[in-house]
Amino acid sequence: MLPKFASVIPRTKDEALSWLSSLENPKIIAGGTDLMVKMRAGKHCSHVIDVAGIPELMGVTEEDAKISIGAAMTHARLSAEGTIVRNARSLALACGLIGSPQIRNMGTIGGNLANASPAADSIPPLLIHDAILTLESQGLRRKVALEEAIVAPYVTSIDRKELLSSVEINPLRGYREGYRRVAKRATWAISRLGVAFAIKEDGNRFIDVRLAIGSCTPMPFRPGKVENLLAGSEKNDAVIAEAIRVALEEIKFISGIRPSYAYKLPVLKGILEEVLRG
Amino acid sequence: MFIGQDITRVDALDKVLGTAAFAHDLKKNNMLFASVVRSSRPHAVIRKIDVSAALAIEGVVKILSHEDIPGENLFGAIKKDQPFLAEGRVRYKGEAILVVVAATEETAHKASDLVRIDYEDLEYVSDPFLSIQSPVLIHDGGNLLSHRKVIKGDAAKGFESSDVIVENTYSTTWIDHAYMETEAGIGYADEKGRIVVASSTQNIHYKMKEISRLLAIPTEHVRVVQATTGGGFGGKLDVTVEGYLALAVWHTKRPVFMRYTREESLLAQTKRHPLYIVYKTGARKDGSLTAVEVNIVGDTGPYNSYGETVCLRAAVHATGPYEVPNVLVNSRMFYTNNPISGAMRGFGVPQLALAHESQLDEIAERIGMDPLDIRMKNALKRGSLTATSQVLNHSAGLLETLKAVEPFWRERHKRGPGSGFGLGCMYYGIGNTGISNPSSCYLTLTPEGRVEMHSGVCDIGQGSDTVLLQILCDALGMEEMGIDLVRGDTDTSYDTGSTSASRQTYISGMAVCDAAQKLKKYLKHQGYYDGKSLKDIYRNAAASAIPVFEGHFDPPTTAPDPETSQGAPYATYAFATHMTQVDVDEVTGVCKIVKVHAAHDVGRAINVSSVRGQIYGGVAMGIGFALMEEFIPGKSESFDNYYLPTSMDMPDVEVMIIEDREPTGPFGAKGVGEPALIPQAAAIVNAIKDATGVSMRQLPCDMERLKVALEKSKEKGR
Repeated sequence: MLPKFASVIPRTKDEALSWLSSLENPKIIAGGTDLMVKMRAGKHCSHVIDVAGIPELMGVTEEDAKISIGAAMTHARLSAEGTIVRNARSLALACGLIGSPQIRNMGTIGGNLANASPAADSIPPLLIHDAILTLESQGLRRKVALEEAIVAPYVTSIDRKELLSSVEINPLRGYREGYRRVAKRATWAISRLGVAFAIKEDGNRFIDVRLAIGSCTPMPFRPGKVENLLAGSEKNDAVIAEAIRVALEEIKFISGIRPSYAYKLPVLKGILEEVLRG
Repeated sequence: MFIGQDITRVDALDKVLGTAAFAHDLKKNNMLFASVVRSSRPHAVIRKIDVSAALAIEGVVKILSHEDIPGENLFGAIKKDQPFLAEGRVRYKGEAILVVVAATEETAHKASDLVRIDYEDLEYVSDPFLSIQSPVLIHDGGNLLSHRKVIKGDAAKGFESSDVIVENTYSTTWIDHAYMETEAGIGYADEKGRIVVASSTQNIHYKMKEISRLLAIPTEHVRVVQATTGGGFGGKLDVTVEGYLALAVWHTKRPVFMRYTREESLLAQTKRHPLYIVYKTGARKDGSLTAVEVNIVGDTGPYNSYGETVCLRAAVHATGPYEVPNVLVNSRMFYTNNPISGAMRGFGVPQLALAHESQLDEIAERIGMDPLDIRMKNALKRGSLTATSQVLNHSAGLLETLKAVEPFWRERHKRGPGSGFGLGCMYYGIGNTGISNPSSCYLTLTPEGRVEMHSGVCDIGQGSDTVLLQILCDALGMEEMGIDLVRGDTDTSYDTGSTSASRQTYISGMAVCDAAQKLKKYLKHQGYYDGKSLKDIYRNAAASAIPVFEGHFDPPTTAPDPETSQGAPYATYAFATHMTQVDVDEVTGVCKIVKVHAAHDVGRAINVSSVRGQIYGGVAMGIGFALMEEFIPGKSESFDNYYLPTSMDMPDVEVMIIEDREPTGPFGAKGVGEPALIPQAAAIVNAIKDATGVSMRQLPCDMERLKVALEKSKEKGR
């Protein structure tokens, strides 16, 4: 059963920010696909501020070679949005795999980021697109890189008076891009492993390789050493094998050895092989 | 003719429109709400219970403990060993201790959380293998609940004459029924002061008797009604909310409603028995089976529930549907402090099917025989002797089910790496094992000129209402369905036994036929078949008295020999073959079920759509059993971390119905409810073996276990 709470439905972003600064213990709600579950389990807040219908938080715009995504865009809309499909294919694919149709129709990209689950499907694609978050509070606005915004599993550096209003990404063109995920059943499942990739290559040489791995370490991450190693390298079995070795080393360096790695590391190895070979 | 037709189910419209009143929908003016306080310990003595904080909340009406029970506190379908409310000691995590009754559901839950219980933890038993030698006694009589043997011929000699012997160990785990509707009901006192309970249940007369014992009142003072029920699968055979509701009404004199949350249902209600099976099979070079030796160890948790039933049924079905001249089975069921295991679709037989079907494939591989051929060679058929030396005199259509899948099997081709095909066969005794399990019904006429059928059969979604009506119409030779069904109420029906063991079509269907024969004779005498209307017949009869026509049926069985289990435990058996195609992704370990051909000998399909529906549902449940479902005590708290298959995991299923008519059944019908599930997991595991070369002997073989096994086999191959 849900604890008692009040709700406000602001019509504009400014109105939302004003509620956010004045209320005692508010929580921002968009789709509610994470928050409602937590509240049902007993998490208390005095108010929820419903931002799902605020026009300034909707839409996808392209400007100065950057793409800006409104934080209240649902997974369902993003998975079918032309600009995203053309310029950030891994993100469109990942959003189309989250949860179930109901969850994709309700859940938003802002909520997925703010919840900061290690298994959040939208995060690995955003990482390879160098996502920058715009955080706003009354009278203030700041930008922070996604990599820095998530500080621990389920913990972000977003202040409780701040609203995540949009996410800015770099489009990637001329890349072979995608998202591979592994889950216990065909749908409505949390990822056991997620790999976003965007690879630019020229004949048998890697030019730029971007990888991000989710559901493996406390936070989804980009294996920087692997990316550096591959940039400009010849594309052959030895290089790919070395890249995978380094990737697994990086994971062990971050997390040590976990029981789940008996499964995850061999799978990751197989996926990276397929992804790098193309 | 109504039989064999696709008659729209009589419950369909109400369910589709959302007007059917499920147990969760039941309401009464002035009703209270109940909630159960449960143990947080697997095994402990209760030192002190402090309800002061809970009672201090406004709206709390009563908090009931075992001391408030006027009658007997123990219940159980087979053996009365489980307390309604714990008396000084708890034996599993989730055991009921108190019932809180309050003005609102929210208050009842809140007050339950505020009850303080001081426990003194006891050492607990979590491993059935250690249970027998454990100094911890879960019940005074010791920790072995049941030991059943099947002895036929001489297994040792059989193995001596074998050319090939295969021995392996198999294991399965706890599975939740996961019915759509959790346990729920309402209780109230009627105008005569009797206790009435309406609930989501598979059996009303059994629950009437348990309430009568609990409250120490005659059964005539208790009425149990079946609400529209959202699934059962065996989990609603045991008393769930009914006892607590009756007790709360007894003390408050007001209507009381309660429903379990999904989390509570997962924590406290019964599960499928985990079985550990050591299985040895011997065969000759030509593929004929010579001997089978099986050792089964089961974990029933702290109470019997249906543990004895599963112990025996697993033993007598251990060989699978094959002729085996020499059989030695030892089946043991132990008490532990794990979750209670109880009845679940198949009573231990799906677990055994995993073992006997895997064994058969391995034998076939060793002697270079096709998996279909070895099954055809050993299949039980008319005249065969089962493992209990029962002669199959009637319907025995296993070979026909094998022949039905044969063209698809012979023409199968792998479409690439990771593609594989597997077979699974089964037989299943219809009705309870070697005991009397009768059903009754009665028929009468109404002033409107209709036949009224009174039945105690609980339709839990499987479609028995429609099937019984179809049987009656044809038995009476009616051209239109002029029947009113009055059912699921102890006030207006006789005991039909539980909706379980795939028994209602066969047994209650025969009781309907029996009553119909008597009514038909009467109607013939009255001129119905010469054109006289039922209205006129009623009017003529009303002057004297409207006659009532009773029907009965009890399937002929013999009690299993206590030492060898030899005998005829069931009057008839269902048979089936499932062929399954899988695609295994060797990188991730994900197994996708591509296609299932399911051939079932049901005797006679009374309602073809319902038979198909059962088979689709059985395939879905079999996929869950094989690939993902796993209740882990302490970890599986909700559907967030207990994975069930979704519609997206379902393959294309081609149903093939075989009708080898059963002369003792209604119009030749047997049953299909449990058979639909039984061979599915086995067929999947065999298909995975075909696809990857890896034998998965522990269920579920989820993607993680499968990947780890694939890695190990790769290392071995190097």
